[in-house]
Amino acid sequence: MEQAKTFFSRYFFPFMVLSLFLFLYIPIVVLIVFSFNDNPYTYQWSGFTLQWYHELFASVEIWDALKNSLIVAASSVFLSTIMGVLLVFYSAHTFFNKAFVLFYGNLVMPEIVLAVGMLSAFSFFAIPLGLTTLIAGHTLLGLGYVVPMVRARFIDLDVRYAEASLDLGATQGQTLRKIILPLLSPALFAAALLVFIVSLDDFVISFFCAGASTQTLPMYIFSMIRSGASPVVSALSTVLLVASSLLVLIFSSLQIKKTDVL
Amino acid sequence: MRSIRLENITKLYDGEIIIEKLNLTIPSGKFFALLGPSGSGKTTILRLIAGFEKADGGSIFLGDKNITNTPINERRVNTVFQNYALFPHMNVFDNVAYGLRIKGFAADIVEQRVIKVLKTVNLEKYIYKSITQLSGGQQQRVALARAIVNEPEVLLLDEPLAALDLKMRERMLIELIELQDTLKTTFVYVTHDQFEALTVADYMAIMNHDGEIEQVGTPKQVYEFPVSSFVANFVGTTNLLKGTLHLRDGQQFLAIDSLGEVAVVAQPDKPWASEESSLILSIRPEKIDISKTEESGFSNHLKGIVQSIVYHGRSTQYNVKLSNGQLIQVFEQNEEHFPQEAIDYDDEVNLYWQKENAVLLEK
Amino acid sequence: MKKNGIKAALTKETPFFMIAPALIWQVLFFCVPFAIIVYLSFVKSSVGLVNPQVSLFYYLSLFDFSYMKIIARSLIFAIANTFFCLMFAYPVAYFLARKIKRFKNVFLFFLILPFWINMLVQIYAWFFILERNGLINTFLLKIGIINSPLHLANNMGTVLFVMIYCYMPFMIMPLYTALEKINERLIESSYDLGANGWQTFKNITLPLSLPGIKTGCFLVFVPSFGEFVIPALMGGSKNMFVGSLITHYFLVAQDANQGAAFTCFSGAILLSVIVLGNWYFSKKINVVRG
Repeated sequence: MEQAKTFFSRYFFPFMVLSLFLFLYIPIVVLIVFSFNDNPYTYQWSGFTLQWYHELFASVEIWDALKNSLIVAASSVFLSTIMGVLLVFYSAHTFFNKAFVLFYGNLVMPEIVLAVGMLSAFSFFAIPLGLTTLIAGHTLLGLGYVVPMVRARFIDLDVRYAEASLDLGATQGQTLRKIILPLLSPALFAAALLVFIVSLDDFVISFFCAGASTQTLPMYIFSMIRSGASPVVSALSTVLLVASSLLVLIFSSLQIKKTDVL
Repeated sequence: MRSIRLENITKLYDGEIIIEKLNLTIPSGKFFALLGPSGSGKTTILRLIAGFEKADGGSIFLGDKNITNTPINERRVNTVFQNYALFPHMNVFDNVAYGLRIKGFAADIVEQRVIKVLKTVNLEKYIYKSITQLSGGQQQRVALARAIVNEPEVLLLDEPLAALDLKMRERMLIELIELQDTLKTTFVYVTHDQFEALTVADYMAIMNHDGEIEQVGTPKQVYEFPVSSFVANFVGTTNLLKGTLHLRDGQQFLAIDSLGEVAVVAQPDKPWASEESSLILSIRPEKIDISKTEESGFSNHLKGIVQSIVYHGRSTQYNVKLSNGQLIQVFEQNEEHFPQEAIDYDDEVNLYWQKENAVLLEK
Repeated sequence: MKKNGIKAALTKETPFFMIAPALIWQVLFFCVPFAIIVYLSFVKSSVGLVNPQVSLFYYLSLFDFSYMKIIARSLIFAIANTFFCLMFAYPVAYFLARKIKRFKNVFLFFLILPFWINMLVQIYAWFFILERNGLINTFLLKIGIINSPLHLANNMGTVLFVMIYCYMPFMIMPLYTALEKINERLIESSYDLGANGWQTFKNITLPLSLPGIKTGCFLVFVPSFGEFVIPALMGGSKNMFVGSLITHYFLVAQDANQGAAFTCFSGAILLSVIVLGNWYFSKKINVVRG
């Protein structure tokens, strides 16, 4: 809609937008640029180098952390997606059709409370901390994303198509397999991708539930910040940034945003 | 083909009674219309027959078989949904073949029957098209094909033409009639549109806002001989005159306040036919003759002043104010381009009708 | 309980075994831990479930000024964080949602991107810039503006600043979504009826965007209250926040009971603020609905 360009719309908004983008991206750009800096510490540009990246790819500690992160993420996605879909579909027309509400708590509760709770529970029952406890926690988070996202799409499909399928003679299981799942797969894929990213990025639950001998990637970065900046971490950050950007591209094309969950 | 019988069916929703102790028999092999306003429970009845809802009381019979507790997918009943519910990830062929494949028919038989039924609904050119490429009318016919290919005992149609434009709707109505004639399957057609119901039905039932069936009969019976003013008003339009029944010299008259008397004929089997009862006269607008000049030969004659005139193309509607202030609608067919007698606003006119063309109603 | 046709079709196919895994998981890893925390907070010196003595000891020890200071500090930071995020994000979300026609998707992509960047990486980026040997200090030292490095990386201001940085996307997304949904016809009607830009904003746009504001505020406030990573890395060990104290109890002092009591107590306070906030917003939103 056309209207007279006031001072406001001419200067204020563009200024705000520019400031925000600068605010958001200056640290990131700086990080990327200086990860190639020959001089590890100062602002001074000493020359382009890939040595930090060499160090990065040679670091056993980082590969180990990455391996752990990927294992936990993949397992969490697998478990939460399957359990979540089964819950949504099979609870739909039964006594448990309000069960999905329980899972809202997983995202509403501050993560630190979840984390100390799990830690206490694990030590209470003398369960050793490690990859399994990590997977337990991340899967719980995953369910918190999968259930609402899948349910939203499922309700729509259910209303439109499930009755028709049953009317034509299919059983509940056949309806799930032939009609619901194929039409649900975009939302399911988006939810799985989201859980994957959330798990990779997760710090709080990992910090409390991983135990002394297991470390995920975010935990590694945390410990490195604690001990002082290292250019290897800058290189790692850059790599992670690129990976994130790719994932966001994929995700954007599925047009679903994290906050739609709530 | 077997008939459907609902016996004492009660259905509640959220604690509210939708239908209570409803009894209905739908004869086999006929085109049956269930007509009623929104919220009358007609869709509920359809869903009960299909199995999407379970009755809170009563039984449903398909022929002699009690299907009250039979699951949806085991009933030999198929539904055409209002929004078609075509599976978007399948093409036309796979949609129509769905029910047959579930039942485990061999691939060549499936192909044979699907193509045959698609020819019946004139869609043989679209067999492998994606659903999203079809128009509303085409989608509707796919939905139809998908249901009838399973050769159900009963076909349920839930306001199937609601999403189509007028011309398409009129065409589909004819096609549906021909289809039912060919298949001889029992069709149960739910609608709120009385024009649709009158067009397609062999028999129809009229439901009111309280979930009760007011009348069951052929379209002609329901239209010409309604049993209540609700039916008279819902199916077509009518004029209702309230009055008291009098008998004089062997003739029956209805005395209407501030208007006078009109000659009536009361059905002799009615209990109120011979008493001084308070009744309503229903006289349809097309049964009234309107004229500026005096005419003879009619049993009833009233005078009035024309309040408004509405042109409907094939007919003209006159709203005439009587001496007691009541408005009467009259339809005159526009038989001539240039009618000899032109009736205009504020004209004083004569209304005539024969007493046999009106109906006396108790409520 | 009566079952309809679909339900009847279901009972043949053991749905309960399909639902059970998710439910069991939820009970095991959400309900049980929560119950244990509550249990621990009320029980004095027990090993496992052997011989528990119910006691309010740990709760009573919370009524100390230092605890209140910590909770107050976290509350203030969370509120400030929410406030600044809202102030900064709203104009941008508004502009993007309503004024930009071309390249909207490109802008959106770059606005969403920080959301997906690992928070540790985000914190590290600022750490790199702000720390003693970091970008700003070495630059300013070189130029000669300062003589010794600024303590940028270890103060409360930095904590708030980095919090705003990390949580900004959580505010932008719901605001954008809500502002985008506003029907253009409503804005047009407002102008048609004689209102100017500011009036239209105040009377139409702002009230209609309230649900988005509410979501954004909650998405920022709730996690901010329990935040411990940013204070731990950027705040120095002098000043404690709710999150840092909980971490301290469970991981350093190994005093799970006191930690549990503090967690429950802070949780209750958080819940009260949430309820208050929810009530406040509901009132505002209901006024709009009429």
